Amino acid sequence: MPEEVKEERSYCVFGVGDREFIIPKENVVQILDITKIFPIPGAPDYIVGTLPVRGKIIPAVDLAKVYNIERLNYSENKLLVIEVNNEKFGILSDITPFFVSFESDIVVEDYIDPEKLFEKLKVTSPKSQIKSKE
Amino acid sequence: MITQNDLIRYFFVEAEEHLNTLIEGIEELENKGFNKDTVEALFRATHTLKGSASLVKFEKLVTVAHKLEDLFEALLKGDLKYQESFIYPIKNSVNTLVTLVNEISQTGQEKSEINKALLESIENIVTKKAVPTEYIEIPTFEVMPILNTVRVDIGLIESILTSLGEVLVQKNTVADKEKQLNDILEEMSKSIKKLLNEINTFSDRYWIMTQEKDQKVIDSFFVDFSDLEFDRYDEYHIFLRKLQEITNDINESLISLFELMNDISYTFKNLGREINFLKDYLLEMRMIPIGRLLHRISESAKDIARKLGKMIDIEIKGSDIKIDKPIFDSLYEPLIHIIRNAIDHGIEKQEERAKLGKPQIGKILIEAKKEGRNIVIKIKDDGKGIDFEKVKEIAIYKGLLNPNQAQSLTKEEILSYIFAPGFSTSEDVDFQSGRGMGLNIVKTAISKLKGTIEISSELNKQTIFTVKIPQSLTVTNLLIFKSRNIEFAIPVGYLEEILYLEDFPQLQTERVIIHKNKTIPVKFFSEFFFSSNGKVLDKGFIIVFNFSGIRKGLVVEEILGHEEATILPLGKFLEGLTQYTGYFISGKGTPRYVIDPLKIFEEEFIFASVQDKSFEPYIYTGSVLVVDDSISVRKSLQSILENKKIRVFTAKDGVEALNILENKSIDLIITDLEMPIMHGYELISRIRKDLRFKDLPIVVLTSRGTKKHEEKAISLGADGYIVKPFDDNVISEILKRFQILKNNLTTQ
Repeated sequence: MPEEVKEERSYCVFGVGDREFIIPKENVVQILDITKIFPIPGAPDYIVGTLPVRGKIIPAVDLAKVYNIERLNYSENKLLVIEVNNEKFGILSDITPFFVSFESDIVVEDYIDPEKLFEKLKVTSPKSQIKSKE
Repeated sequence: MITQNDLIRYFFVEAEEHLNTLIEGIEELENKGFNKDTVEALFRATHTLKGSASLVKFEKLVTVAHKLEDLFEALLKGDLKYQESFIYPIKNSVNTLVTLVNEISQTGQEKSEINKALLESIENIVTKKAVPTEYIEIPTFEVMPILNTVRVDIGLIESILTSLGEVLVQKNTVADKEKQLNDILEEMSKSIKKLLNEINTFSDRYWIMTQEKDQKVIDSFFVDFSDLEFDRYDEYHIFLRKLQEITNDINESLISLFELMNDISYTFKNLGREINFLKDYLLEMRMIPIGRLLHRISESAKDIARKLGKMIDIEIKGSDIKIDKPIFDSLYEPLIHIIRNAIDHGIEKQEERAKLGKPQIGKILIEAKKEGRNIVIKIKDDGKGIDFEKVKEIAIYKGLLNPNQAQSLTKEEILSYIFAPGFSTSEDVDFQSGRGMGLNIVKTAISKLKGTIEISSELNKQTIFTVKIPQSLTVTNLLIFKSRNIEFAIPVGYLEEILYLEDFPQLQTERVIIHKNKTIPVKFFSEFFFSSNGKVLDKGFIIVFNFSGIRKGLVVEEILGHEEATILPLGKFLEGLTQYTGYFISGKGTPRYVIDPLKIFEEEFIFASVQDKSFEPYIYTGSVLVVDDSISVRKSLQSILENKKIRVFTAKDGVEALNILENKSIDLIITDLEMPIMHGYELISRIRKDLRFKDLPIVVLTSRGTKKHEEKAISLGADGYIVKPFDDNVISEILKRFQILKNNLTTQ
């Protein structure tokens, strides 16, 4: 979704397959090396599992499955941990994410609104899950 | 029956609370002036204090509290306008209350006389006869030595408990490590013993050997030397001797290490015990005797009975058992519901009871008992009982039960249908044994507390509801099991027993077991959670649950044991996964998802249809293993191959490649030659040596273009040789040559 950026802001760039996305820097909590992801049965297929971090789990999301980007192997991935309204989740990135700043009035492709993404991807009740699959 | 002493004890706990409210409220009144909320709190405190004091017959307290209550009520209703000077008689009265309560706690009696003038002055305020003058001395409140207590914010206890939860996790980690350490020590000690043994036998042998050899020499030249004087020690002897000494030293150190380890284990065990004590004390800190709740319930019950025109006698047992504050708070509603049902539908009217030859006064028994970490509350009435035939009829009529199924159910199981949603609604005619009303709500409330409810009844004799709830919600006792290499936990609250799968061979086909004369339907966890297609398990366990009288079994592959843990919520992102109540992280750092067993059996497979997709997202035409130490080569090859719907596995070196080969089915290997740890040549020759892979195509992809390298690779068993750089066409060629694309060529 293209979006116009009004002021100069800092973003984090991450990659899924051969595509790159940006997300506001303020929402980025940390970048983790993925050692092991623990699958969580019953979750939608874009949630590849959870990663334990300091006694809590962070759900890991694969945007490749959300935007239909073909890519399979997670061996070199980083997990970009995003925080939206005090809730954390992670996005798999095929590149080591880095930060950039944009001048104002530059139209940015592949900008991700963290809140919208959160709302879009969070697991709702099991019934609606099935519906969305059909 | 509650004794007078019990009542007095509860009275104190309550009185303390109310007096505190009074003191706080009065301070606010004095500092901030009239405020409706403050006065309302004051009114309620005096009202309740009056009520409880009258129960234990402390008349002076009742009189003073009553006067204050009138005053606050008048202020609250607006009959009277608050003036600052009111505070003096109010303060004085509250002080009298405090004094009286103190006296009761010390001597058991109200000693002080009530200041008549004080009562009068309050009455005058209420009746607007006179406004008090300000000359009345300002009392300072006595310290209340009623109970040796401090008030702690429940949030603080909560934080301590969370912290303690972490301590438990760390403790479990250390426990794991301790075990590992012990295993290593054990192994080391065995090796050392072996080593020592080797050295000893060898040196013995060597000793004899050299002696025999030397003997001949000694015989001819040095007959005059005695054995002792002759130094027959050569370098080997010295070396052996040293080796022996060193090994002995290591052995000694190892023994010390063992002793140290024992000490540590012992200390650790003590530490564990102390942590458990700490946990218990902390939990108890948050706990309240259930008697306070039951007492309240019995008061309400008497009210209900009065309104319904029924005579009842309530007996309460086990009031000193303590329960967690949150449970205490949410238990009132479901219990009062059960009691209301018992009075309304269970206990007959006096005349009717007389006809039936029952004692005229109906009897209700509320009994709390501690069973392990659970509290069992039994509510028994001697009323009509429940007609289970009728229950069966209704359950069938409502479509909750199928008539064939009904034949095989026990009476107990049929009765449990009265908890089913939609079993009875308010529109229903009150059926003879009529208990349906809203019992589903009761069950839901109890389930929320991780508890269960069971019912048993004898027609025209009695009905017993048995509520079982954990004493505390914070730390849960969990059963840990493993399925598909993922760890899960289930609260033991519902757990009845664990059986061996091997003992029920008919289970695989019939999906039920007959155990202790009960037919128990069984589900396979892996099928339910992974929608797998019934791989026959030859080993495993059947976890038998008891959901309020209905038993269900769940087959799991592996049980890892019991653990106590604080369950954490999944968070907003995952909370839609209602099959889980939360998670916790094991000592090894593995998340364990806590399953709500009710969901497995009650929500009919809503999420079973969510496919296993996250594990196998595509249908592949073949699989290729790419071995290269350069990530860019791996990635570009991967993308070329994946575009052709080929599953790609990647490895950084030969060792990784061999590991993948062990676990995955691979159709083709593309490997680089120069790699760290294990290079391409060695990889090829290793693969070729393994009979399983003797026909597996191997293609070398390298920047080494010389014939020499190609010949070496081919001679070791490579089937193809590509020189970098490569492109899609080259790869397509290769795939075609080794028929990896199978039937998919047309789509490319």
